[in-house]
Amino acid sequence: MTSTTTPVRARALRGALRTVGRIASTIWSNPRARIGVVLLAIFILAATFAPWLAPYGASQDGFERSAGGSAAHWLGTTAAGEDVLSQIIWGARVSVFVGFAAGAIATVIAVLIGLSWGYSRGFGGEVVGFIVNLFLVIPGLPLMIVIASYLQNGGIAMIIAVIVVTGWAWGARVLRSQTQTLRSRDFVTAARFAGDSSFRIIFREILPNMTSLITGAFFGAATAAILAEAGLEFLGLGDPTTVSWGTMLFWAQNSNALLTGQWLLLFAPGLCIALLATSLTLINFGVDGISNPRLREGKGR
Amino acid sequence: MTTNTTPGQVDEQPILRVENLTVEYRSEGFEPVAAVKNVSFTLRRGEFIGLVGESGSGKSTLGFALTRLAKPPATIVDGKILFHGSDIRTLDAEELRKQRRGGFAMVLQSGMNALNPVRTIRKHFHDIFRAHGHVEPGSFNARASELVRKVELPETVLDRFPGELSGGMRQRVSIALALSLEPELLVFDEPTTALDVLVQHAVMDTIRQLQASEGFTAILISHDLGIVLESTERVLVMHDGVVVEDGPSHQILDDPQAEYTRMLLSHYADPRAEEIHIPGFSTRGRSADAARAERATTSPRSDARAARRADASIVVEGASKVYAPPRRGEKPVVAVDNVSFTLAPGESLALVGQSGSGKSTIARLVTGAEKPSSGLVRFGDSNLASLRRRELRDLRKNVQMVFQDPYAALNPLHTVEYTLMRPILNFTERRGEAARERMLELLETVGLTPAETFAAKLPHQLSGGQRQRVVIARALASDPQVLVADEPVSMLDVSLRAGVLGLLEDLREQWGVSMLYITHDLLSARLVTDRMMVLNAGRVVESGPTADVLRNPSDEYTIRLLDAVPNPARAREGR
Amino acid sequence: MTYALRKLGMLLLTLWAAVTLNFFLPRLMPGSPADAAIAKLSQNGPVSAATRAAIEAQLGVPGGNLLEQYVHYLQQVVTLDFGVSFTFYPEKVSDLVLTALPYTVVLVGIVTVLAFVIGTLIGVLAAWKRGTWMDTLPTLGGSFLSAFPYFWIALLLLFFAGYVGHLFPTSGASSPTAVPEFSLSFIGDLIYHAALPALTILITSLGGWILGMRNAMINTLGDDYVTFAEANGLRGRTVALKYAARNAILPNLTGFGLALGGVVGGSILVEQVYGYPGIGYLLYNAVVNQDYPLMQALFLMITVSVLIANFLVDILYGVLDPRTRR
Repeated sequence: MTSTTTPVRARALRGALRTVGRIASTIWSNPRARIGVVLLAIFILAATFAPWLAPYGASQDGFERSAGGSAAHWLGTTAAGEDVLSQIIWGARVSVFVGFAAGAIATVIAVLIGLSWGYSRGFGGEVVGFIVNLFLVIPGLPLMIVIASYLQNGGIAMIIAVIVVTGWAWGARVLRSQTQTLRSRDFVTAARFAGDSSFRIIFREILPNMTSLITGAFFGAATAAILAEAGLEFLGLGDPTTVSWGTMLFWAQNSNALLTGQWLLLFAPGLCIALLATSLTLINFGVDGISNPRLREGKGR
Repeated sequence: MTTNTTPGQVDEQPILRVENLTVEYRSEGFEPVAAVKNVSFTLRRGEFIGLVGESGSGKSTLGFALTRLAKPPATIVDGKILFHGSDIRTLDAEELRKQRRGGFAMVLQSGMNALNPVRTIRKHFHDIFRAHGHVEPGSFNARASELVRKVELPETVLDRFPGELSGGMRQRVSIALALSLEPELLVFDEPTTALDVLVQHAVMDTIRQLQASEGFTAILISHDLGIVLESTERVLVMHDGVVVEDGPSHQILDDPQAEYTRMLLSHYADPRAEEIHIPGFSTRGRSADAARAERATTSPRSDARAARRADASIVVEGASKVYAPPRRGEKPVVAVDNVSFTLAPGESLALVGQSGSGKSTIARLVTGAEKPSSGLVRFGDSNLASLRRRELRDLRKNVQMVFQDPYAALNPLHTVEYTLMRPILNFTERRGEAARERMLELLETVGLTPAETFAAKLPHQLSGGQRQRVVIARALASDPQVLVADEPVSMLDVSLRAGVLGLLEDLREQWGVSMLYITHDLLSARLVTDRMMVLNAGRVVESGPTADVLRNPSDEYTIRLLDAVPNPARAREGR
Repeated sequence: MTYALRKLGMLLLTLWAAVTLNFFLPRLMPGSPADAAIAKLSQNGPVSAATRAAIEAQLGVPGGNLLEQYVHYLQQVVTLDFGVSFTFYPEKVSDLVLTALPYTVVLVGIVTVLAFVIGTLIGVLAAWKRGTWMDTLPTLGGSFLSAFPYFWIALLLLFFAGYVGHLFPTSGASSPTAVPEFSLSFIGDLIYHAALPALTILITSLGGWILGMRNAMINTLGDDYVTFAEANGLRGRTVALKYAARNAILPNLTGFGLALGGVVGGSILVEQVYGYPGIGYLLYNAVVNQDYPLMQALFLMITVSVLIANFLVDILYGVLDPRTRR
């Protein structure tokens, strides 16, 4: 071997894989988290294979209006004569996509701000801290509603943007305090003595030690995003022509499904939202066990 | 001591009899690990015994089992613990709870965290009195006052919250709380380990006096054979879950039977002695001290060292460091007060003092991590206070640091190879295979062979001593002129200390690096340094050649530090 | 005392920041919210110069002097003068807000405190009985409940308890025939109408408190002072409540402050479903009708309420933790 860069890089990759493997196996070892993983997998599969799984198109109408469940339409039809089951399956796409996209973007922002805020000292840090705390205490949903109201019918991209604006602060705070803890650890000082740059120290020494917290922040942000997306669309602040669980409920309420007694139309989309959000919460039970051994399964007393 | 410990006295029922006790750590998906293996011993009323072992010996696990505080995953799998003849394993929860008064009690290692931060000390006492009803409600306060006085605290602590007390005071409160149970058997689990040297000494004195005056039976668990031999009449030595020796203290001191006990004992010595014998070290008498001074000036065999010997001094002139007050309205903290010294090339200087003496602040000043509030710190020609980022990097190339805690100083996610390659790539011109060769060479230098095997390991696969060797190797990677070693062996087991100290000493001789050795441990300072400075509250109270300072201390603080050194040999004189 | 003063200073600073955010929000948005608002208002009749100035100060005017507008805006905030609503023309925005505010504050306030207390107690029990059904049931139930969308629970309760079961009224805060007075029958009527919204908020916010307290308490149960308390033979109840739970409530209380915003947000959806005439329902109407002046004023009011509630929680924290007193 003539150069060490390749083996070093290969080792780094192996190290990263090992970390991912460790997280995955710890999550899987927690029975609750295992249920969450299975649930989430079902939703992801449904979203991915919607064209094959759904009996009809998402906006395909012309069926009997406001019908109850039948062999042809298991969950009945909407007031516009669309198949409810098909809409549920297609709707999974929006929730899963918004959850993961908004969760991921919010987490990236949280990581960047949390790490730099935690690593740097001085007045700048205080100002960032004040802004983060401001975003933490300002009620998120009302802020989203106000912003979404100005950006009329912006569609899914707008909804993701609005969720990210209000959703990054929590993760930033958690990651910041962990960064501060790690920053004062000897191995970080040692890396400085070994001549490493701040950039390298943050990304090679500190960041890899926070993978479980970051994973937790991601699932937390994704859960919040799924619920917020549904809430905004329920209020009619998204694009009401997209088929999603939130808009289904919006139309259900607007078409007086309550009065007509079509409870399935109300029940099914909401249950899906709840189950998807629950699956992420359950996975986070397993993630909690990684970053906090005291929370691992088993009898404490 | 009033108790009669003559062997063969059979009429008295032993207060505690442990029979074939085995404790395992059991967690799902893992093989059970036995921490205590088939241990048997008996304890007579009024006895004060020591339980000694290094980390992982099972001594604390045993202590927790004896007081039925062991929690999962620790599980008693076999054996009996007979307290007054009845097996405490069979007690149900309420019987066990009642038994805590007048039965067995425990003082925890981390006594500073053993108190509820949101309750006053007085309420802690009241909680216990109320739980057992052994004190009349009318005399709660009187009894609490009496108890805190017994542990030599003022009554005013009763109305304080734990956070307002120092570590030593909190540990004393813990002892008073345990005493309030009027226990027959009291287990002390490393009661002074987390405390400062002088405080340790004082707390141990209190424990000894209380044991004599209150007449409880006591077990002192400690990693420090010196402390145990000084305090107790009988010692159990544990190694790897097994009691390897059980005998009267004086016998263990004079005629240890087990190989392991002999090895532990060999690492103790009086730093004041004329000559010191520690395994791995040649005699440290006057002649040796002179010889090393000579070596420092003559040319060493420098084949291992790539570049030059140390040629620049660290000069500290009238340096002070003042920190902003911790809370508004309080006085600023003077951590270092007008300290001056020179660390000549190739010299080894000890900075000695307890925590808060300013010794670690001085380490931060000479490594450029902090700037002095006033005065000057120089390395060669450069003033450390005016260094830019770039120059600070150059300083780091020459002034490297060996950290105290080998478990915290290595990133758990990086292999030894990654850790050592960083300074090589950052500070030297070596790249590729040459850099890797250098990395392996460093591992060999610190005695981690075969180097290829160690290079691939992660920190958790190494022992404490091996980790500290990696830390030292990293410090050497940039071929520095000065090593600042901050308590490099205080976190290591006694048996591993000599090895690491010997390594530092060899490096100094072979590589010609100068060393600033920061410690509270006078014996280790005697072993590896030429000169010594004693610091108290930021000020230098005494300095001179190490052996001279230790053998003829003039300052009262130095004398107190020397008196606090646990010394098995002194136990014999006191008895 | 210095702790309380510091928190008060922080409150004032945060209030100022929130007010300023409220000022910039409409100005950062594409298009001109002010023009849109004035255009809407003019449908109700001619818009006076004073009203136009008030709206412009609140929502911004392109090319205007920002500092001047900011000063004018601060004056508006201090005098609670937010102009006229065109949704409820010619009602003044401030009157609308002040009428709606008590409904929400009482409903959300009482229910949140109730949920926190009940959730915390269940969390304590779950952690103390860890590994038994008394732990599994509330933690699994709690995580499921906290994942429920507020409005969905609201819809289900409304459907089953309102439309199908006829147990509770389906809309409003009081019966149309009820006369507002300080009488038992009127208060009873209010409670009857608030029952479903309250139940909804209770169900959905309970899970978070249960999980938060359980995890915090599992942490404190591993602390040394709990082990030592057990070693000293204190009664189980003393150890659980005065040692483990008493310390675990501190981090949970911090979480309470931060979660409050979430509850207030959720209550908007709940009020919308039940047509409950609080701040949330008003905000929904403002949003649907793009009544920006009303919307801005409501958002400001919600933010200020949450900030003040947070301040009160901080003060309570200071009372409970002796370490803040030093």
